[in-house]
Amino acid sequence: MDRLIEDTAERIFADHVDKAALDAAESGEFPNALWQVVRDSGLHLVGSPQSGSELADLYGVLRVAGRHAVPLPLAEVLIANSLLDEAGFTTIAVDGVAPWARIADRVLTVDGELSRRFDAEPGSNLAGESRDRVVLFDTERVDLPTDLRERMALCRVALMSGCLERILAMAIDYATEREQFGRPISRFQAVQHNLAVLAGEAAAARCAYDAAVASVDSPGFVHHVAAAKARVGEAAGIAAEIAHQVHGAMGFTHEHSLHHFTRRLWAWRDEYARESLWQEMLGLRIATGGADSVWDFVVDAG
Amino acid sequence: MFTGLEFEAVGLPPEAEALRGEVREFTSKELPADYWPNADFNEGHSPDFSRKLGERGWIGMTWPKRFGGGERTFFERYVVTEELLAAGAPVSAHWIADRQSGPLLLNYGTEAQCRRYLPRIARGECYFSIGMSEPNSGSDLASVRTRAERVRDGWIVNGTKIWTTDAQRNHYIIALVRTSPPSDDRHAGLSQLLIDLYADGVTVRPIRNLAGGEDFNEVVFEDCLVPDDGVVGEPGNGWIQVTSELGYERSGPERFLSAFRVLVEFVRAVGNDPRRDEAALIGRLASHLMTLRRMSISVAGMLQQGGNPAVESALVKSLGNDFEKLVGELVRLQAPPGHPGLERCLRQTLLHAPSFTLRGGTREILRGVIARGLGLR
Ligand SMILES: Cc1cc2nc3c(=O)[nH]c(=O)nc-3n(C[C@H](O)[C@H](O)[C@H](O)COP(=O)(O)OP(=O)(O)OC[C@H]3O[C@@H](n4cnc5c(N)ncnc54)[C@H](O)[C@@H]3O)c2cc1C
Repeated sequence: MDRLIEDTAERIFADHVDKAALDAAESGEFPNALWQVVRDSGLHLVGSPQSGSELADLYGVLRVAGRHAVPLPLAEVLIANSLLDEAGFTTIAVDGVAPWARIADRVLTVDGELSRRFDAEPGSNLAGESRDRVVLFDTERVDLPTDLRERMALCRVALMSGCLERILAMAIDYATEREQFGRPISRFQAVQHNLAVLAGEAAAARCAYDAAVASVDSPGFVHHVAAAKARVGEAAGIAAEIAHQVHGAMGFTHEHSLHHFTRRLWAWRDEYARESLWQEMLGLRIATGGADSVWDFVVDAG
Repeated sequence: MFTGLEFEAVGLPPEAEALRGEVREFTSKELPADYWPNADFNEGHSPDFSRKLGERGWIGMTWPKRFGGGERTFFERYVVTEELLAAGAPVSAHWIADRQSGPLLLNYGTEAQCRRYLPRIARGECYFSIGMSEPNSGSDLASVRTRAERVRDGWIVNGTKIWTTDAQRNHYIIALVRTSPPSDDRHAGLSQLLIDLYADGVTVRPIRNLAGGEDFNEVVFEDCLVPDDGVVGEPGNGWIQVTSELGYERSGPERFLSAFRVLVEFVRAVGNDPRRDEAALIGRLASHLMTLRRMSISVAGMLQQGGNPAVESALVKSLGNDFEKLVGELVRLQAPPGHPGLERCLRQTLLHAPSFTLRGGTREILRGVIARGLGLR
């Protein structure tokens, strides 16, 4: 991952994404100003052939985006731009649903259909992110890599990994500020232990993500993505639960920003297949190899 | 923004991967065809096997050549240790000496101590035990009461160590003892002594565990004379030294592979056309295992760079031990009947599971270490 790209993304998202922007996007307003900034910076082309950056950089930008809950369909835009010529705003549909299709110029399906003429009926996921139901009219077939679903799943892994880091930071900050029984709640061992578990899940997610990114273009890619999506999905559930417990009732309010992150975790762990499906796929591959190849699988894939 | 604990993205370099085949060839040659793999690094004490590993240069791999080491990287050592564990090889004889006593001597010992012990450890001939816990000092290690009093030619040691793994089979113990009376600074006045387990004044009594095995012991010191050259490092510096061992002790693959055989035998039992829920269980456990391995390799990278990854190690061990327990509990619920191999592994894992989150620092203590790393205490 190129540090410079990561720093640029961090700066832009930190400057332009706040609670008001998140609430506005959730109410259905596309964040035009933010999109303009992203385009001006060239971030929307990271990972595309003409940009000189790599796929690892693309996933890295998404990790930073996850840290800020960026209310743009960045995963879809970046992957589409890495595969097609950049012609406006292309979103990606899976199972007939695509983020921000209502304002997109093109819809690409994970099965390789591209369309400029489509209907989009607004819809949303658990986090209130746009997930529009699309009906495509004129479609053309495009050649896509066979592992596109895995690439999209890795995008969700990247977003979740960043998001987990953020809720860890929020929970630590809250625990050191909030006082009960005359001291910060971070002084209570039960709270410390919960935060230690949360930190463990965030670190595990980071490592699962790294392993998958390191395997881009290798034969083990599909397995690593399966392991990462399964493991990080599990981490998301554990970590969000603890972050809320630490925040008390305040974290259950709409006014507090914690839910922008935790609801995304709950949504993203289901998108591009929930843990159980990736576990089945991975388990089936391992079983097919047989008992005496389990270790080979773990280390070759590792 | 605080982004959590840093686990740098590192993979194994090619020179480390290159060792994998060699180790496999070695284990398939040295272990009998009907060998039933050990579940754990603590199971299987074989001086014969350890000596053969020593001949191959697979003990003390990272140490300087002049002390019998191989001047290899921590990544190379990683591959050798994980392959031995995956094969269930009998490694417990040399394990602790290789993992932490040797590195401790290298970091704090004298030239003479290094010359005297390291080459023998590296040859697979000389085995060490860890003398930290006492009847009244477990998690609160700084409260140890075993004391050493200065005499003309050394130190007279009195006190009791307990839960000392393999003390009845090993040659030496590195004991944490009090060399000056307790003061306001609880961590002051502690020292590490290297003691011959066969010396006068040392009595070793095996303690039977709930699974029927006798791996750990009580070690009693009664007016045991330890010569001056038995002091490791500076007298009074024991606390810093003992905590520096923990990065080595806690981050290795042995901290998440104790239930690995259960996974293997479960895969054998369900065959290559598993039900969906069986496949999902295999996949779930594999996703944890692959992630833990990645984390553990990342810590090997920190050791390679000369760091002291105490917090990161605590995290790997804590997640790894929880995983080891999860394997037994989940596979149990779906284990098909009529598979003696699986049954045998499951029994072994379920009976040993309580120790996973105790030995080497309890889960609660590890979480405390992590919380400190997060700046919470
Ligand atoms: C199989 C096995 C092998 C071992 N081998 C060795 C060895 O070779 N050498 C050696 O020196 N030791 C060895 N040990 C000992 C091991 O290090 C201790 O068991 C461990 O440090 C815990 O000490 P304890 O058993 O006295 O439990 P205690 O410290 O009495 O703890 C009991 C319970 O209280 C909890 N607790 C204690 N303090 C706190 C606190 N501050 N906050 C929250 N909870 C707390 C603990 O987490 C635990 O759940 C071994 C143990 C086992 C099980």
